[in-house]
Amino acid sequence: MKRYLSMCTLALVLSLLCVQDVWAALRVDIYGPGQNIVSLALAAPLRGRSTEATDMGRALQTVVEENLSFLPFMRLTDPKAVLGGTVMEGAQPPDVDFKRFQLAGADLLVTANWPGGDSGTKSVEMRVFETNSGTSLFGKEYAGVNKGNVPEVADRFCADLLEALTGNGAFFRSTIAFTRSAGKMKANVWLTKPTGRNLRQITNLGGKAMSPSWSPDGRFIVFTHIDSSSHALGVWDSSSRRVSRIRFPGNVVIGPSFTPGNKVAVALSNGQYPAIFLLNRAFKKERVLEEGNAINVSPSFDSTGTRMAFTSSRLGGPQIFMKDLSSGSVVRVSMNGGYNTEPNISPDGTLVVYSRMTEYGNRIFVQDLMTGEERQVSFGPGSDEQPSFCADSYFIAFASSRGGGRNIYLTTRHGGDAKKVPTGGGASFPRWGQGGEHK
Amino acid sequence: MKRLTLILALVCALAVGFGCAKKQQTEPAYDDGGNSELNAAIQQITDGRVYFAFDKFALLPEGKEVLTHKAELMKRFPSIRVRIEGNCDERGTQEYNLALGERRANAALKFLTSLGVNPSQMETISFGKENPAVQGSGEAVWQQNRRDDFRVIAQ
Repeated sequence: MKRYLSMCTLALVLSLLCVQDVWAALRVDIYGPGQNIVSLALAAPLRGRSTEATDMGRALQTVVEENLSFLPFMRLTDPKAVLGGTVMEGAQPPDVDFKRFQLAGADLLVTANWPGGDSGTKSVEMRVFETNSGTSLFGKEYAGVNKGNVPEVADRFCADLLEALTGNGAFFRSTIAFTRSAGKMKANVWLTKPTGRNLRQITNLGGKAMSPSWSPDGRFIVFTHIDSSSHALGVWDSSSRRVSRIRFPGNVVIGPSFTPGNKVAVALSNGQYPAIFLLNRAFKKERVLEEGNAINVSPSFDSTGTRMAFTSSRLGGPQIFMKDLSSGSVVRVSMNGGYNTEPNISPDGTLVVYSRMTEYGNRIFVQDLMTGEERQVSFGPGSDEQPSFCADSYFIAFASSRGGGRNIYLTTRHGGDAKKVPTGGGASFPRWGQGGEHK
Repeated sequence: MKRLTLILALVCALAVGFGCAKKQQTEPAYDDGGNSELNAAIQQITDGRVYFAFDKFALLPEGKEVLTHKAELMKRFPSIRVRIEGNCDERGTQEYNLALGERRANAALKFLTSLGVNPSQMETISFGKENPAVQGSGEAVWQQNRRDDFRVIAQ
């Protein structure tokens, strides 16, 4: 009986291990320390049985490949490594030969089928399978595809794929606001997808725009605007496409940031020195969030809005502090280095990212708020500044002078090779929209 | 013949035009009407900069000397209004430097006020590290960029 029970237990453990193994193959844990690498192959897009889709089909495939190259945990399988080629008889089993992709090292296979052809305005069926079992990870039809919206459809598919793999597809749904310099004391606010597509200028003011911040509902971007004689809070309204410039007594407006409650926190003068104020929805002063004789700037909030990270010089040089807005208690976060600024809390509230001045320039560090463990995630050369978390709490955008001029780069909470966002240079202050905002 | 007359007329008109331009150029840029003292004061207020240590906004003894002289001039000419512009070197980060520049500008404003200058004669702005006086890197450059500039905005 005892032996029988032991065998049952062993069988149960083995079956659980098998289930876990299958589950692990389906998911990528981007938050844990041992992030796994997934190899993905794309079968040739089809517009009929064994017939390759060479118009929009090829265009969509190209953009999907470009998009997926931004995911550090994904390797694209070289089509030349697939013996017998990537053209399948059909887009789903039993017409898909998973073996040849598996032999080429692919864990996942993407198929695309254009049942009505791939020119004009058509639908495409996108499917993702595991190559070792042929199990479907997900499948979806994207309707109304035309030449003009192929990149948008690629973003939608990649967001769905990312969500299926990691549980969060915010990266491909986000739009980054940033400032782009056009000379000394001249910069405006621009938008771009994290892949560098859909790049456009949204303000056209003289003077310098700094520190843009998206409202959580995606309607507004606020920013600091400085001209030759004044500071102002710039407000861009996506519904009217208009920009207003709001001035405050004391002529100080530094580092505005939206709270999850769709209000703005910003450093303004309290009559003696700058303090962090909360503004109401009409952008008027509501109350003080933090003040004191020292410098207090750069507020950043977690997704609950109960905790605010900020930079303060209360202990001498600038350091990162965290305020619990319900109790009012303030604790120091950055413990190393003499000059830590520009905090940004991950939306899930687990990490805070900031820049530290080192003898080689500024570098980006991430601190785990639970353990206090700090990790350097950028390594220059040049100066790395203004880090900002994506809504997925995984990707981090930052500005760097590593390539000569200033550009935006992407890394992750784990660090790793930074990838440049192609914006054309002069780019600073990347700030993620939280997904689903203005397209 | 008609064409020749037209060309001659055009040449004459151009000659007159150049003559006028030259005459305008030789005239003084402005008539100071006895305001040379005011103009000299404006020049001195604008010229003298106040410098700071890295990441500090406390006035240094040399800076206080410069400001004391400015205070005398501003009290003597109460019609003068000055914008004090706080600046930083390139090393710090932008938002923090905007706050630091504000503190530097306000340090000068408070000192001038303590010396009897009417606060309504002054306003402040911080440009952080966005408006360096000298381009480049190294302490010799940074030293010149950690400063308050003084701009006369009304006289």
